[in-house]
Amino acid sequence: MNFLTPLFLLGGLAIAGPILYHLVRRTTRDKTVFSSLMFLLPSPPRLSKRHRLEHILLLLLRCAALALLALGFARPFLKQAPIIDPTAAQPKRIVVLVDTSASMRRDGVWAAARARAEEVLRRAGPADHVALYPFDRQATALVSFEDWNRTAPADRVAFAVGRLGALTPTWAGTHLGNALVTAAEALAENEDGKTAPGPRQIVLVSDLQAGSRLDALQAYEWPKGVELIVEAIKARNVTNAGVQFVADGPESTRAADAPVRVRVTNSPESKREQFKLGWTAATGAPATAANPSPTGEFLSAPIDAYVPPGQSRVFSVPVPKGMAGLEQISLRGDDEDFDNTAYVIPPAQQRATVLWIGRDVAEDVKQPLFFLRRAFAETPRVAVRIVASAPAAPLLPSDVQAASAIFVVDAVSTETATALREQALAGKTVVIAPKSVAFGPTLGALLGRPELTLTEGRTSNYAMLAEIDFQHPLFAPFADPRFSDFTKIHFWKFRKLDASGIIGARVVAKFDSGDPAIVEVPTGKGRIYVLTSGWQPEESQLAVSSKFVPLMWSLLEQAGGVASFATQYAVGDKVPLPADGTATTVRPPTGAAVALAAKAGEFAPTGQPGIYQLEGGAKPLRFAVNLDANESRTAPLATDELEQLGVPVARLKADAAVPAENKTLLQGLEAENRQKLWRWFVAATLAVLLIESALAGWTARRPALETQEVTP
Amino acid sequence: MSATSNPALASAKLIDPKALMSIRSLELRARAVVEGFWSGMHRSPYHGFSVEFTEYRQYTPGDDPRYLDWKVFARSDRYVIKKYEDETNLRVHLLADLSRSMDYGSVGFTKATYAATLAATLAYFIHLQGDAIGLLTFDEKVREYLPARHRVGHLRQIMLALEKPAAGRGTDLVAPLERITSLIRKRGLVALISDFLAPLDRLERNLLALAAGGQELTVFHIVDPAELNLGIEVPAMFEDVESARTLYIDPAAAREAYSRKFAAHTEALRAICRKLGVSYQQLSTAEPLEIALFEFLQQRMRRGRLFRRTGSMGTGGRS
Repeated sequence: MNFLTPLFLLGGLAIAGPILYHLVRRTTRDKTVFSSLMFLLPSPPRLSKRHRLEHILLLLLRCAALALLALGFARPFLKQAPIIDPTAAQPKRIVVLVDTSASMRRDGVWAAARARAEEVLRRAGPADHVALYPFDRQATALVSFEDWNRTAPADRVAFAVGRLGALTPTWAGTHLGNALVTAAEALAENEDGKTAPGPRQIVLVSDLQAGSRLDALQAYEWPKGVELIVEAIKARNVTNAGVQFVADGPESTRAADAPVRVRVTNSPESKREQFKLGWTAATGAPATAANPSPTGEFLSAPIDAYVPPGQSRVFSVPVPKGMAGLEQISLRGDDEDFDNTAYVIPPAQQRATVLWIGRDVAEDVKQPLFFLRRAFAETPRVAVRIVASAPAAPLLPSDVQAASAIFVVDAVSTETATALREQALAGKTVVIAPKSVAFGPTLGALLGRPELTLTEGRTSNYAMLAEIDFQHPLFAPFADPRFSDFTKIHFWKFRKLDASGIIGARVVAKFDSGDPAIVEVPTGKGRIYVLTSGWQPEESQLAVSSKFVPLMWSLLEQAGGVASFATQYAVGDKVPLPADGTATTVRPPTGAAVALAAKAGEFAPTGQPGIYQLEGGAKPLRFAVNLDANESRTAPLATDELEQLGVPVARLKADAAVPAENKTLLQGLEAENRQKLWRWFVAATLAVLLIESALAGWTARRPALETQEVTP
Repeated sequence: MSATSNPALASAKLIDPKALMSIRSLELRARAVVEGFWSGMHRSPYHGFSVEFTEYRQYTPGDDPRYLDWKVFARSDRYVIKKYEDETNLRVHLLADLSRSMDYGSVGFTKATYAATLAATLAYFIHLQGDAIGLLTFDEKVREYLPARHRVGHLRQIMLALEKPAAGRGTDLVAPLERITSLIRKRGLVALISDFLAPLDRLERNLLALAAGGQELTVFHIVDPAELNLGIEVPAMFEDVESARTLYIDPAAAREAYSRKFAAHTEALRAICRKLGVSYQQLSTAEPLEIALFEFLQQRMRRGRLFRRTGSMGTGGRS
């Protein structure tokens, strides 16, 4: 038998105590009352005769109790061949998740994380399978299991460490839930399709910030047998405040020089609460009109931002006079800089021109132009100029050039029609809403099909829009079932058009009679829309319905007149590109412009915060990419939250920390832990003490009984 | 002094003190002793006659018509009995020690109980004689004093005083004796009942003062059987009931010295009594009370000072 803490055996020396005690005759604790002690002298306690111990059995029991207790404390264990742990021999499958989110840019965090990840990799046994997954919003394999297995066993760790060395933190947010799900799934699937017999582990190397998103775990059933080992990295600085732009709503009427609202959050453990907030210029960029001072200093007097730890406050940062167009708000006074800049695109009113060709009198409430003017009323975001031109008047090139969309409602001369067609071929959008069947020849000329004729449609009472192609961009805003009801709009009059004869024509909406209501005819680079019924009250209720304005704006947007282009994104967000497909390149805040693939619907690599510029369209579009607001929440996340979501979080085993030279001790510790013999010793001590108490009680009572019997 | 040493008591049926002490009422106990002792005695021919008038009482049929007050009858046409206080010629004072040391007992009852019963017995007996009886209880100081009287209810008061539990801590024999010396002017009998577990230095002077005052003295020394020979076997912490002092005593070792000292103490007391002509009687609480009573009477007879109505009792008391 071996002992883990043999020094405790010295406690066995306490056996001497009971032996001495038994040698000394018991000085009784019993009190006898006597009438007077005046004739009595105190007697000294007597020692029993040498070598004559009293109550041998009691003495033995007491000694045994002490000895057993000492043995128990010495933590005994039986040395034996280490029991083969059935799981120990089997190779482990380990996914090392390394957090590369923006919060890892904090002082010293990334270096510590990389060192810890390297340590984890080096700890892997030769038979283990290891995969390395860095993650921010997504987890992607840096070293997959296949890579690991392909590499020679001796080179595996070096290979993985080498890959790890090239890794740097990104600017993206922390979607920890996604990463854990990805890792768990990577562990669940096996190369040969069978479940691996060995233990499966996920080692998470992360700063475990409170802003980590775990929502992906909520609907995920964690696979059995996959345990999570958390290697949390502690940041040197606990103070961290972040600044985020409070986005204006789409209906916002913020003027270009109105104050910008930003939210400043301070972490709960922060040691500071006083910050400065103000406009700055981008550092490193060349000085331009918009960026006059690229040193990072405040361009105007900063405002004081007082935010107590654990709270967030919204501040209005006024735009300094004469400096409209500033794009960067910075926070100063914070220990960690990674989240101290918010990028803002100053609001700018878009201008569009619509050319109207018709005989309408502007203020005639029965004419379609009247309604179109009201539909395109000016907003802070867009101002639409409608240029009305009589059908007979010659087309002014300047008007045509400026117009995004050309509305034709009355028959024009063939020359004009041909000129309009050329404009359509060149990329303009022409909207035709014939007021009468007399428009037929013009339509033929516009569409390049002179044989086309228009006939008056017949309705018993009224017609409704029946078949609407909600996939079409024109009606896409109405695709939601809440907005898709067009049956309330009655059409009294419409023109019959045989769309089947027009090559490439697409019927976007049909009347309930089956006749086309809106037809899109792609023409060259542009397109021609034919509305077979007008919106004026004489023909339909469309103008007075709630669908009219969005429909017209949708038309204008399709025509490229206005861009419904959002300007605020988070790092990693996909930026939808304008539908007209005119954007060809994206200029990120730093680095070379990125050419966009033809017909690319979105721009994905928004890898760093800053102002991006889309080029290629009529005018460049700018959008701001900011840090995920959650990245500023750098307080540590409690692992309990992971456990609550069903992720079994394992504590690191002790053996990881013990140096190799203490292996014997370690084995002893393990054996002792397994055998737990001390429990038996303590139990035996208790049993002996029980017997001792009973025996002592009995012996103590016996003389008393005897004296009672003696007393007559 | 044991029951068998008295030839007169040898054949008598004595009451076992244990049985006697199991009677709760002190008065009943006294009555049991005295009446058992007195059984067969004839009634005194002088009963109820005295010269000292005390009170009137309504005549009820059965009352002796001799004691009717005819003058009152003549005046008011009512029968009234005239009562007289018996005239006595002996005043007995009982001095009962009720200190805490008396509260010890190894035979099932304490010395205090025994002493109280003894005092009650004597009081009852003397009261029956028509003599005046007084009581003084004491511990380290005088607790209660009832002057010697023979009156209705006086005996009851004495019984009540005796029934009070032992309260005091120590025993002081000097103060009560000095007090009684100053209180008693008339000659009489003083019976001192105590365990005398106190220094005897000034006892002699005080007893002498009393004797010089013409008092006849009787000393009852109450001892517990365990006190005679340290009748405890197991070594233990001994606690003094009076001072609460504790000592570790191994009886086997201490017994010899104790017995010697106790015998010396008793002998010293006995010597004082002998010197002063005081009758001394050691009473073990294991002995029947009749012995005490008998010895008391015998001693009085020996002295030839029997009072008037006890003469017939002393000679023909027991049959």
